[in-house]
This record gives sequence, structure tokens and C-alpha cells, in this order.
Amino acid sequence: MAGESAAGELGVPAGVPERREYLFKVLVIGELGVGKTSIIKRYVHQLFSQHYRATIGVDFALKVINWDGKTLVRLQLWDIAGQERFGNMTRVYYKEAVGAFVVFDVTRASTFDAITKWKSDLDSKVFLPSGGPIPAILLANKCDQKKENSMQSPSQMDHFCKENGFVAWFETSAKDNVNIDDAARCLVENILQNSKDFPVEENDVSSVQLEREPLTAESKSLCC
Amino acid sequence: MKVAKTCATAADICKKVQDLQQQVEGRKHISNGQESLKRQSSTTGRTVTLTPQALKHIWVRTALIEKVLDKIVQYIVDNCSKYYEKEALLADPVCGPILAVLLVGPCALEYTKLKTADHYWTDPSADELVQRHRIHGAHTRQDSSPCKRPALGIKKRHSSGSMSEDKFAASAREYVESLHQNSKIHLLYGKNNVQVQPKEDIEAIPGYLSLHQSGENLTLKWTPNQLLNGTLGDSELEKSVFWDYALIVPISQIVCIHCHQQPDSRGVLVLVSQDGIQRPPLHFPPGGHLLAFLSCLENGLLPRGQLEPPLWSQRGKGKIFPKLRKRNSCNKSVDFDDSFVEELTTDYVFRIIYAGHKHDNNSGDVIEMQGFGANLMPWKHNEPCSQGSSCLSCSTGSSPYDIPTCCSCMHDRTPLKLLCENMKRQIVSRAFYGWLAYCRHLSTVRTHLSALVHHSIIPPDKPTDASGGLTKEVWSKYQKDMKNYKELELLRLVYYGGVEHDIRKEVWPFLLGHYKFGMTKKEMDRVDEAIASRYQKVMAEWKACEVIVKQREKESHSAIYAKLSSGSSIDSHVQRLIHRDSTISNDVFMSTEEIDVTDRDLKSHNGKTTILTNTPGTPSAVAAEPQQSVEFDSPDSGLPSSRNYSVTSGILSSIDDGQSICFEEEESSTESDRTELSMGPPRKTKGVLKMQDSICEEQLCSQLEYLSNSEDISSMCPTSYTIELLDTIALNLHRIDKDVQRCDRNYWYFTSDNLEKLRNIMCSYVWEHLDVGYVQGMCDLLAPLMVILDNDMLAYSCFTQLMKRMSQNFPNGGAMDIHFANMRSLIQILDSELFELMHQNGDYTHFYFCYRWFLLDFKRELLYEDVFAVWEVIWAARHISSEHFVLFIALALVQVYREIVRDNNMDFTDIIKFFNEMAEHHDAQLILRIARELVHKVQTLIENK
Repeated sequence: MAGESAAGELGVPAGVPERREYLFKVLVIGELGVGKTSIIKRYVHQLFSQHYRATIGVDFALKVINWDGKTLVRLQLWDIAGQERFGNMTRVYYKEAVGAFVVFDVTRASTFDAITKWKSDLDSKVFLPSGGPIPAILLANKCDQKKENSMQSPSQMDHFCKENGFVAWFETSAKDNVNIDDAARCLVENILQNSKDFPVEENDVSSVQLEREPLTAESKSLCC
Repeated sequence: MKVAKTCATAADICKKVQDLQQQVEGRKHISNGQESLKRQSSTTGRTVTLTPQALKHIWVRTALIEKVLDKIVQYIVDNCSKYYEKEALLADPVCGPILAVLLVGPCALEYTKLKTADHYWTDPSADELVQRHRIHGAHTRQDSSPCKRPALGIKKRHSSGSMSEDKFAASAREYVESLHQNSKIHLLYGKNNVQVQPKEDIEAIPGYLSLHQSGENLTLKWTPNQLLNGTLGDSELEKSVFWDYALIVPISQIVCIHCHQQPDSRGVLVLVSQDGIQRPPLHFPPGGHLLAFLSCLENGLLPRGQLEPPLWSQRGKGKIFPKLRKRNSCNKSVDFDDSFVEELTTDYVFRIIYAGHKHDNNSGDVIEMQGFGANLMPWKHNEPCSQGSSCLSCSTGSSPYDIPTCCSCMHDRTPLKLLCENMKRQIVSRAFYGWLAYCRHLSTVRTHLSALVHHSIIPPDKPTDASGGLTKEVWSKYQKDMKNYKELELLRLVYYGGVEHDIRKEVWPFLLGHYKFGMTKKEMDRVDEAIASRYQKVMAEWKACEVIVKQREKESHSAIYAKLSSGSSIDSHVQRLIHRDSTISNDVFMSTEEIDVTDRDLKSHNGKTTILTNTPGTPSAVAAEPQQSVEFDSPDSGLPSSRNYSVTSGILSSIDDGQSICFEEEESSTESDRTELSMGPPRKTKGVLKMQDSICEEQLCSQLEYLSNSEDISSMCPTSYTIELLDTIALNLHRIDKDVQRCDRNYWYFTSDNLEKLRNIMCSYVWEHLDVGYVQGMCDLLAPLMVILDNDMLAYSCFTQLMKRMSQNFPNGGAMDIHFANMRSLIQILDSELFELMHQNGDYTHFYFCYRWFLLDFKRELLYEDVFAVWEVIWAARHISSEHFVLFIALALVQVYREIVRDNNMDFTDIIKFFNEMAEHHDAQLILRIARELVHKVQTLIENK
């Protein structure tokens, strides 16, 4: 129909790469005092302090990543209090998350033991639209204070991740800015992969059209 | 697209549309967007299937979202000669510009603010729904949710395309389906061939009249036969015309029903809505159909509402029919139909009233049914062409079902006189409804909220103006002459005006209940002494325990290193040790201060005359006790049992023999009934890691001494004390240390000395409340008390008092859920609009965004100076106005920002983010004032029965 010629009239070449914008809700969870807030502050604001106050409830941070020439990713990081045990509340916090960092403190073995608890809590409360668990990355924080043999060997960690459904693990240090960007990149890759794999209903034109519209919009809501 | 060549805005849109269309991967031909506009101007656009049509009009949607649709249409209108034939709507010198101007409104709205996960779905966000909801205003207010939600559900499955335009054909099937009964909507009445004359110049057309019930909402629909039986072609134009004729009337908007009986026993029914607008008459076929309909309607209105038959009277005669009376009393006998039909031309007026509505006869009589017969059309519709434009403006961005409703705006042109009469009646009726609503409101408030506030109002200005607060002057007068000052009067001053900063240190212990008002100096000293001794005792107890905890940590460290050094891999045994070791890395634990516990210890201990010998420990005496370590095994604890522990000790003995022996002794000693124990000398915690056996013994002894005296833990069996308690304490100490180290470090008061005091107080409190343990946030509650009181003992006592209320908010208490429930009731009653919004925007009426507020009494929300002011008002309010004053502060916070919350359509994430970002930026005095006003408002509501 007329539309095709109209496209020609405008001189817009077919398949012009367009800018995609994503908003991803990412959770940061783990025992109290493992450095969740510090990791976020380092990642988002390039700051480190020993004296961040204990998080009560939840805090937020937004990280904007120019993923590649045509993709802009906004990570909405949910910094969830390490001792949050109030009933149904974590369920509400986890809602609609698409990825998670689960953090432990390499200098305290008990925080590592709690990882499986956090992971199963996560997997029981939030799912991908496909029904699978959301991608989670294990962060072994405070690696700057690591003592000899105070942690499991890399192969043990790999095994642990495989066993517990983590997509990867990183030794991080919020203090020395070690590996945090890499870990985030790894998580975003996984999230993007999921969003591509997301099943598009057959003949469902509108879902394709609409998918991007809300995304541009979300950024507005975030900036308020 | 042609327009795009000359109009920059249109070009932009074209580009965007094409970007969109490329995503569709060339599935269908892309049609010229212009055609959808031509549809409005009598040009027929062929529609083959749904999807291309959705594509075809995508530009309208795009332009609308970009908020430029009005500009494009204006451009087209300005240049109409290029694109349209003379008789086209857009080329009309009047209608064209009107259309363009009408689009300005819809284009000013934000359609794009969608929710986080919505990009996976085709649903518009709740925000967008609310926005759309606003466009329709009162029309769809009542029935929007039951109608819209199922509709969207269907849309998602059918994926019928973009939401805002192109609903005519797209929604036709859904619309017709909606006329049938389904799980959500009951069909109460259905009658075909009910005639409606939609316009003056058009013959009455037959259609299907149906009455639907969805929840408590009744909706009347009339659909022209042409839409139902598909006799028409797919021609969009014709469809859209009939869509315009179709009626959807929510019965909740209808206040009056006029019935005209005609000699040929046809019935004519006219519905009059709240705004006085009359709907086109419905002509029922001959027979008792009109009455059957009324009967169904009356049934449908039950139990909430009913028709008000005593009001109707025979026109001109004022005669009331007994048979109709009979019907009014809910006897819907079939034979009644006949008698009704036998009546000659008579007109009746029914009102629809709802439960509790006692009708006022005068208001009912305002209407005289003059000139309101079937012969005379009560509305004039002289501008058929404007109908198209108004419909377009109404329908942009609306859901499919709203189109016909919107088009009822063509009935606006009712004769002026009638309109005035209707308005008059409406005003009376609304006044009445307002009063009725108020009465109901009051009764709800009373039942829900009477427990939340004190019923007697203590005013701010009697006997004197309290806004100045509790000043130094007043306080010194009180101290000199206590008998002439009543506690309540002082509290009233605090409640309305706060406490002068200089005397807070003196006043707070009274407000918190450490002292009682009216106590003499002597009595106060006694209280202080008692508290001091208790505090010292508790300190001694937990510090002793801490030493043991440290000891264990060191051991497990050693165990790990022993294992590692022997070359073996980390096996499960050591893993278990690691597991238990929750406090390994705590540098804070090693205090550099000398803590002289012993001196205080000597004064203490429940008045029990325990003989304390200030000598180094006597390991031999303790070791002489039978070794019973096996008995301490607690396999159910999930923690390393003492059996394991003993084994461990055995393994370790080659490395650190003395310590493991020490531990065995400790375990066994707990079994003993010894009450005479030796107390250790001053402990140097600095030396913890290098502790000698003898010192260790001393710790153990004081621990034992505690065990035999303490009532708090006496219920706990010694077995659980030994291992589990130590684990619990280790865990709590660790948590406390983590939080103490990061407690308000930016505030000048928290130097390392004061942090040490904070830690001591916190550990003491937690030691006495190990069942709850340390929960994050407790440090935040203690910190302001320390800043004001600057005295360990006082702060400890006041914190203990404060925690009597606050500990209920922590996970073991149930207060948080009660707060949320109360917030829910209060907002629902005091600000139902906001409540509705919260409900609609993802439903955050769980009020979790208030969690931190209630947990910390707003401590994180305010600056320190404001925390002081707010806290003392909360404490005083308990005696003056409400024990739940925090609720009203929370309400005040919500109220201060309600417009922002509302205008930005905040969802849960938005609001929690907003308040996080607003922390320490609030105007505390304003919020306190509003909170007091809110309490007063609720008190007044309850008082005025």
C-alpha cells in the first residue's frame, strides 16, 4: 500500500538501528554488614566510606550504562537491608526484579553460609516471566581483607555456583574498586539475554511495538 | 506521509512510526496513516484484518504519545485544500479547527509513564489507566474497574494492537461478547427490538437492550441491531455511526426513570442521570416489557438500592395506584403486568435510591413532567457534523467500551428550562447525598478509629497558650513547687510546643518514664541508684560472656589453622567450626579501654548476699567438679554440640591445651549449684586474645554467678546456655558491633568514646532481651537519647523505657502490622482519593513505604534537631491526645506531599524512592502541626455524634 512508498519518500533506509532503552530492577541482598551499600555506592557514585549507615528497609540507586551504540541500560539497584525479616515485605521488594547480586563477606564464613538461604528466598519469591529463576551473581566482597585460605578455592566456588544456580561469582572489593564493574556487566549480559529470549507471542505485533514504548517512559519516572 | 514533507512535526512522527514498523519485520503492508483521518471524513478505508489496521493507525498513537497529534491535525486543517475534498470534515471551516482544538487536551496528557515490568506485556500501566480514567471523568467513574479490567484481559490475549485508536472494528467482537453473560458480568435483562431514535432526522432504529450486573454496578446497554447481526459490511464509517448511537448507561448515574405508557401498550422509558442529562427514550415493543424491565432493574438494585415508587404519581391527577403500591412492597407477581398494561396513557417517574436513603418528598416534587412526552424530542441535535469531532476527542486514548458513553455528550443540548429544573433537583439531591455520605463517614470513623485517639480533647489554649512549649522558666518553677504543677499540664506544654533544648536532658527522663512527675529529689536518687546497680550488673554479665565468646572464636581460628597447617583440606569438620564462628573478623571487639567491672560488680546483685572474693580464679576448685561435657550435647540445635566441641578441644589440645581445658571446666561448672563464686579482677579486654587461664576462669565464675542469680535466664536450661546461648550472644555482639561502628558517624557526637558507650548500652539492653536480640534500627533509637542525656546509666534506662513501646515494631512484636492496618483505615477515611490512587498504582496500600518511619519513630526521616522535637511530642501525645501519634505524623507526611504523589501517579517504587530522597528535608514543625490537627480532626469526628 501507500506506506511503502511513503517510507521511500522520507528517505529513511530500512533497518535503521534504533536506540533501545532498558530499565532493569536489580536486587542486592546478603547478610548484614557484608558491604551491599558500599558496593552500590562504589558502583554508582565511585565513592567508598567505612561509615555508611545501616540500611533500614530499602534504599535505591540508579546506574545508567551506555551498553553499546544502540542500547542504553538503566539499572535500578535495590539495596535491601541485610536483616530484613519483616513478613511479606521482602516479597514486595523482590517483585519484578530481573537480576540480583547476592553478597557475602570473605572475612566472615557465616555470611557465606547464609548465601544459600538468601538464594532460595530469592528463588521462591521472584521469577522471570518464563518461570525460571532470575539471574543471580555471587559477590565475594571485601577481598582486599582476604586472609590466606579464608575462602574456598576458585574451583570450589565454581562448583558452589553451579550447584546453587548462580550464573557467576566475582571476588570484589568496594574499597579498592575490584571487579564490581565486571560483575555488573556480567549480570546485565544475562538480563539482556533473558529479555531477548523472552517469548514473543505468535502474531503478536503489539507486544513488539509496545515493548519499547514503556521503556523510554520508565526513564522519566526514574528521574523524578 | 505527504504531510510530513512540509510539516516537520509530522516528519518526526513518520520516522518514529517507521522505526516501529521495522520492528514488525515487514509482516504486513504499511499503510498510509493519513487514511485513518480520512475515515472521519467519509473516505472508506478498507480493513482486511485486525493487525494491518492496528499498523495503519499507529501514527495516531505515536503522535498522541509524542503529544503532537493536535499540531499535525491543525496543520492538516490549515492546509486542508491540499489533502481533502471540499465536503470533507477537515475542510469544513468550522468543524476542522474544532477537531484540531479539541485534540489539544488529549495531547497534553502523559501516556507514556508505564511501570517497570510492563515492557513484557501489552498492557498499559496502571498510571496510564488512571490517566485515561481522568479523561472520561464522571462517566466511567463508577463502572470503570469492572468494565475495563476484563476488557484489558481480553485484549492481552487477542493482542488486538495499539490501544488508543482503531477500536471500532477491533473491539466490535469484544463488545458484542460483552453483552452476553460471563463470569464477571451477569445479564439481568435482555430484549431485542427495543427502538431508539438516536437523532431527530433519523428513524427510530431497533436494537438490543440489555441490563448487566457486575459486582454492585448495573449497566444498561443498547446496541443497534446493525452492530449485532453484521448485516452491514465492514465499512468502518457505518460501523462508527452505529457505535455512536449505541448506549452504555451505568445505572449508578441514573437518578430518575420516566415511564410513558402509550395506548397501544407500548412503553417508553427515559433515563435521567445525575447531571440532569436525559438519555434518548427507549421504546419497548407492545406487551409488558417495560414493566418486566423495571422489575429486573429493581431486582438488580437490591440489596443496596431500590426504585422509589411512592414517589411516582399519575401525572395530572396525583393518583396513586394500589396495585403499584403492592408491587413496591417487592411483590412482583406476574398478573400485575396485565393490570399495569391496562392503564391508559400515563406517565410515571421512578427514582433510584440506595440503602439508608430516606427520601425527601419535597425534592421529588420539583419536577413537573411538562412537555416531556414521546412526541417531543427532549434534545435537539442540530450539528450532526460536530458529533464526529467530539467523538474523536472523547475516544482518543479511551478503552473500547467508552466510545458510546462518550458520545452521549451529544445530548447536552437539552431545553434550557428542563435543564434548569434538573439542576435544581440535582443540587438538592447532592446536598442530601453529601449529608448522607457524611453520616456514613462519621459512623465508619467512629467504629474504626475511636481506639486510636483519646476522646477528651485537651486544647492548646486552655488554661494558657501552650505553643511556647516547656521552657526553662516553667521547668524551674515546677521544680521549686511541684505540687502546683500537674503532670498533664506539663505534658500539654510539651505536646503543643516542645521542650526548650537546654532542659531536654532533665525533662526527657520524665517523659520517658525513668522518673515520675512529682518525685522528690530523694526518690529520684533512689531510682538512679537502682538503675545504676542494675546497669553495672548487666554490664558485668555480658562482658563476662563476651570473653568466652572471644575465647571460642580464637579457638576455632586456631582449629582452622591447625588443620590447614597440617596440610589437610577443608573438611566438613572444620566447615562446621567456621559455621559457628560468626564473629571472626571483629576488630571492634578488641576494646582498647580498660573496663573496670569489678568495682561495680561488688555493689550489685539483687541484694543477694553472694560472697564475692576479689581473688584470682581458682581453677582447681572448678576443675574438681565432675566432667559432664557429654551431657551438653544438643543434637537438635543445628549448631555444633558440646560433644563436637569437646572433640574439637581434644583435637586442639596439642595446640592450645590450656584453653580447651578451660572450656571443659566452664561447661561442667554450669551444672553446679554453686552460689559462692569468686569474681575476677578488672579485666583488660585488650588482652583478650592473650588471655591467661586464670582470667578466663574469673570470667567463667562471674558467668556462673550470673546464672544462679539472674531471673531472666534461669528458665533457660544450662545446656542451651552453654552452647546455644554463646552462639546467640556471639551473633548479637557481632551485629551490634557492625551497627555501632556505622551509627551516625557524620554527627559530631559520635566519637569513638561515645560509640563505645553506645555499644555498652546496646549490649546491656540486648543481653536482657536475648529473645528478641539485636535488630537493625535499635542503634538509631538509642543514638538521639545518648546525644541528649549524655549519661550511660540514664540513656540505658530511658532506652529500656522507650523500647517497651518500640520493640513491638521489631519482627517479634505485632505492632508494625497494626500500624499498617491503621494507616490503611485512616487514609481510606481521611483521604480516599489518595487511597484509591495507591490502590490503583500497583496497590501499595500495604503501606510498606512507612516501614522505616514506624520502626525508628521517624529518626531517619528527620535531622537530629527535628528528631528531638518530634520524639518528645510523640511521648507527650501518649497522655494528651493519642497513643498512636506516630500514625498521625505518618499521615501528615503523606498529606504534605499528597499532590506530588497524586500528580505523578506514584507507584510503590516511586513513593518509597521519593520519601527516601526526602529524608532529612522535611519541615518538622509543619508536620507536627498537621499531625496535631489530624488528631484533633479525628477527635472531633468522634465527639460529634
